Amino acid sequence: MATKQVEVRDLDEGSYVMIDDVPCTINAYSTAKPGKHGSAKARVEAEGVFDGKKRNLSQPVDAKIRVPIINRKQGQVVSTSGGDEAQVMDLETFDTFTLALPDGVSMEPDDEIEYLEMESQRKIV
Amino acid sequence: MFPGAAAARADAAYALVGAPLDASTSFEPGARFGPDRVRRYAEAFDDYDHRTDRHFSELSVYDHGDIGPTADTEEYLTYLRGTCGDLREEGAVPLLVGGEHTVTVAGVRAADPDVFVCLDAHLDLRESYAGDPLSHATVTRHALDVADRAVVLGARTGSEAEWERASEADVTVVDPADVADWEPDFDADESAYLSVDIDGFDPAYAPGTGTKEPFGIEPREGRRVVREVAPHAAGFDVVEVNDRDDGQAAVLAAKLLRAFVYSHAADR
Repeated sequence: MATKQVEVRDLDEGSYVMIDDVPCTINAYSTAKPGKHGSAKARVEAEGVFDGKKRNLSQPVDAKIRVPIINRKQGQVVSTSGGDEAQVMDLETFDTFTLALPDGVSMEPDDEIEYLEMESQRKIV
Repeated sequence: MFPGAAAARADAAYALVGAPLDASTSFEPGARFGPDRVRRYAEAFDDYDHRTDRHFSELSVYDHGDIGPTADTEEYLTYLRGTCGDLREEGAVPLLVGGEHTVTVAGVRAADPDVFVCLDAHLDLRESYAGDPLSHATVTRHALDVADRAVVLGARTGSEAEWERASEADVTVVDPADVADWEPDFDADESAYLSVDIDGFDPAYAPGTGTKEPFGIEPREGRRVVREVAPHAAGFDVVEVNDRDDGQAAVLAAKLLRAFVYSHAADR
């Protein structure tokens, strides 16, 4: 999986992190000093980029952690099923694939979209 | 470790978290020593509680240790709220030991109660104090951002604006003289959060606290409140104990924490 390594202290709200081998978006980042002589600890509250599940972690700020490399790409809707999926063509590679539409969003052919891609996982933003 | 709090985190029904915040203390400092003092003065207690016929060490209490503050109080509260939330999700009732009263804000946010019940000399309804919106004098106001209503038992002082705010329908103030007769009035589906600011008690009983206020609650009356609210409570804290006495404030705090656990466990 495409990741890079950083220290926990480099994380921030809005950025990505791997928790339980799942790419997540950070919703809250906070630090505390756990004891009189311990090093500072960071607590990260996040949710899966692709599955939306909440995941947390607590680590010393100098611990190493993996951050997923997620690409933000442009696409164009080719067709819609009328349901909750759309056929999308990537505007750089011209690959086509099916993407789930976000809740409550309807799309028309030729609509341009942005989507996140990490290996075989994709999500419309 | 708090005496008798030897359970592992995975088995915890109660989780004690030390929160030695001492940032906005406006008069006598030392709340940062509260968690240490409370643990120390609990050493002399018997494990067995005759009233509930229970041993404290068998009630699955886990001591998480202290979470030390950083310079940014809001961020610290986020951390503390997150830790208390994790513990709740794991099935434990958080027991915060302050630290100044501000740590309650994290406990309340994690527990998300309907009713905030507090023993306190002060209304703590200020929007800010000395320019600090997270001052220990703002706690009830922050709690009301989460809870639908607040009951402040033993309150006997506040600014004019605080007394005006306290006259609104979502705040009940119980005078120290009336605490003995107060009965919880929770609906069956209402959850509570119980916060014990040790300065709610008369300073003759709890002199080791940062902002003493005479004519306070009697310990026996406060203990009755703790026992009666405990079965309804999703979270508990005891705060504002410092190290400027001979242990009176700490031993009262420790005893009330144990009273909470015994009564909560007896109702399970």
